[in-house]
Amino acid sequence: MNISEKTINNYKVLSLRGMLNASSAPALKTCVAGFPDEQSIVIDLENVDFLDSSGLGALVGIARKKKASKAIMKLARMNERVKKVFEITQAHTLFDIYDDVSAAADA
Amino acid sequence: MNPIVTLTLQADLRYLRIASVTACNVAEIFANMACTVGNIAEFCHAYELSVSEAFTNSVRYAEPSRSEKEVTICFSSDNGTLAMSIIDTNAQFNPITQAPDINSYPEGGYGLFLIHRLMDTVSYTRRDGENMLTMTKQSTITQAANA
Repeated sequence: MNISEKTINNYKVLSLRGMLNASSAPALKTCVAGFPDEQSIVIDLENVDFLDSSGLGALVGIARKKKASKAIMKLARMNERVKKVFEITQAHTLFDIYDDVSAAADA
Repeated sequence: MNPIVTLTLQADLRYLRIASVTACNVAEIFANMACTVGNIAEFCHAYELSVSEAFTNSVRYAEPSRSEKEVTICFSSDNGTLAMSIIDTNAQFNPITQAPDINSYPEGGYGLFLIHRLMDTVSYTRRDGENMLTMTKQSTITQAANA
């Protein structure tokens, strides 16, 4: 999985590409851990072609830490395959999810 | 049961992608041969995601004391249904699970729950020190397609 990073309006935007699963989830956690706890982030999922519960768990774990640090975490551009995993587990109730990155980083 | 493909991998997350992509490909070929699977993408995704969950569990719970740790994935056809079995030599486990409490922000515990929600049948057997988790998803295969 590839992770690219940019900054929009004080949000770190991480754009993921590839599979987010047990093999690649640690890389995402490591990337986020490199920012200050109070750094708000947007995770762009447009190019995540596969996500399993390990990938979901990584996002949930990051969300928990951001919440504890009073930082904001948002998700953007979720495709149907990714959305399905969130909906089955009800994890979509934990996140603010946007259709585009600009809207996520603007709010 | 008519065996189609058997894949044995080292119990290592480096091979997770091989397991899940193989499941997706086998499901797609099966669905195209059947000609009447309703939503092929959804059908394939169910197998891909379920094997990803099961393989990950097999790797995570592999006993450290064993020098050779392998996971076997078997695909077979049974009365027009694609059955997928994941076999390992880990400790016995309880295949029944409830959904984690999402409000507690759990990082794990979703795997078996997802499998049960995605697949139409999930069965577990323990024999000769092996766990076998078998799952199927119904497809709308007609008698004509089976002929």
